[in-house]
Amino acid sequence: MKEESDGALLRRVLSGEPRTYARLVDRYQARLGRYALRMLGNKDDAEDAVQDTFIRAYRSLGRCEGDGFGPWVFGILVNRCRTHATKRARTQGVIVRSEVALATASVASSEGRDALRDAIDWALKQLPAEQREAFLLKHVEDMSYEAMETVTGVRPATLRMRVFRARDELRKLLAETVRD
Amino acid sequence: MTEREDSLDPIIEILREPAGLRADLTDRVMSEVDRLPPPGIAALDRVRWWRRTWTIRLSPVRGLGLAAGLAVLALGVHLAGRRAGPATPPGAERAPEGQPIQFVLIAPEAQAVAVVGDFNDWSMSATPLARTLGDGVWHVTIPLGPGRYRYAFVVNGAIWRNDPEAPAAEDEFGRANSVVTVGGS
Amino acid sequence: MRLGMIPLWLLIAATPPMARGQEPRLLGRVPDPARAQVDAILDAARVRGLPVEPLLDRALEGATKGAPPAAIVAAVTRLRDELVVVSRAFGETASTAELTAGASALRAGAGADDLARLRRLRPGRPLTVAAAVMADLVAAGVAADTAAGAVLALAQNADDADYIAFRRNVQRDIELGASPAAALAVRIRSATDLSSTPGSETMPGTGASRKRKP
Repeated sequence: MKEESDGALLRRVLSGEPRTYARLVDRYQARLGRYALRMLGNKDDAEDAVQDTFIRAYRSLGRCEGDGFGPWVFGILVNRCRTHATKRARTQGVIVRSEVALATASVASSEGRDALRDAIDWALKQLPAEQREAFLLKHVEDMSYEAMETVTGVRPATLRMRVFRARDELRKLLAETVRD
Repeated sequence: MTEREDSLDPIIEILREPAGLRADLTDRVMSEVDRLPPPGIAALDRVRWWRRTWTIRLSPVRGLGLAAGLAVLALGVHLAGRRAGPATPPGAERAPEGQPIQFVLIAPEAQAVAVVGDFNDWSMSATPLARTLGDGVWHVTIPLGPGRYRYAFVVNGAIWRNDPEAPAAEDEFGRANSVVTVGGS
Repeated sequence: MRLGMIPLWLLIAATPPMARGQEPRLLGRVPDPARAQVDAILDAARVRGLPVEPLLDRALEGATKGAPPAAIVAAVTRLRDELVVVSRAFGETASTAELTAGASALRAGAGADDLARLRRLRPGRPLTVAAAVMADLVAAGVAADTAAGAVLALAQNADDADYIAFRRNVQRDIELGASPAAALAVRIRSATDLSSTPGSETMPGTGASRKRKP
């Protein structure tokens, strides 16, 4: 049986089959979850952001164009993650990154692969949010710069620069780890 | 400058691993969804959905083209005004069905014509017109709920034209608009 | 893995402040920082109970027409201000369509008190078409106060189709060469003759007409 397109599922939901929305949620939650986890740094926040995103998307589903549910819902998630980061910074104080970095560093791990993961998590958190965002969308979610412009509202030239700086910074931060 | 270099590949490979979020995430979303009204109940959202799933093909309007187009437009607007709404429970939001409104432009020299306006986010790609072969009469019909909609035609993606058969409307960006008003509540 | 000292510059948050609720449809169409400003206007309008769609439409119109970002923000601000005035005149229960049409009438030169009077003369009936016709008549060349007076004269007895027919007739007469004032006078007379009831509003004289705003 040929799988239904996003647009076909969307039309079904909008024409009176709200339960069909579950299929779109199933289809996209892994990708959204991965981005949210890497962007926000912990599972609880990521789950909140992803759930919140799907609810918001459902509420304004009528605004989604044709077959474009994927980029559209991703755009909502990107916004939610930005708002979340700003909210956290406000409530937790300015120097949130050093706290998180120290917390991560204090988790001892003897296994080699876990140490690498910890290092990557820490390094990602050192990046300014907009660089992290651009890097994840480009290299982890494999988006084109045109798609990233739609999702983030930022011009491709600016996005390229952020990706370049993010890669540079990550290489520097992880130079020792990678060499080990 | 290469975008992808070896030293970051193992990093990226790890970042691509699934997040391992809770297994019942879909269930949690759907239990919230069950408590919400069906999406698209707002007037303008419902109208956009109609636009995408409902098309009308009118027979060619040669010769009488303009008059016929105007007649449909006038009839649509007239019906919009005369239509008695269905009874709704007090407090319930009334979702308008949308009256079919036809837009017509005579442009024999055009390769493409679109209408942009308040009903389609002023999007150049949302509402292209179609033409019957050879006679330069471009047309499209879309359902519009009650309201006043400013719009314009765009020929070949670049030339802005007003609707000569419609009243002019205010514009503050340097390109004049036309307007169509649909009655009802 | 050694962490060493965390450089200070990494600790300084570089995250730009983001508006709280971001409207997805502005993304990729209205450039920053105008987009953030428009988002802020939309958020504030939402909180106030003003409709957001007309404001968003205005921003998207400016974007499609290639307007400079400052012009887009100015246009959205101006419409927001008009919607505030109209919502006072039309009341809390006015629909988005009514408020948008009322804003156009204001833009065309109708007064807030004209709109309030329209509400009083048509209690419980939609005002969208009446307000729209007010704006359309001005666009056709009728003086603002004359147009307002005409719409008010019909307010008690005309339904939407009558208003649209009236506007179409006036427009056609103007196209055929009549002066706007004359075209209106003829059509209002025939309209009110057919539907006049004792006590209905009479049209003010067309003597000292206010010039239409450029």
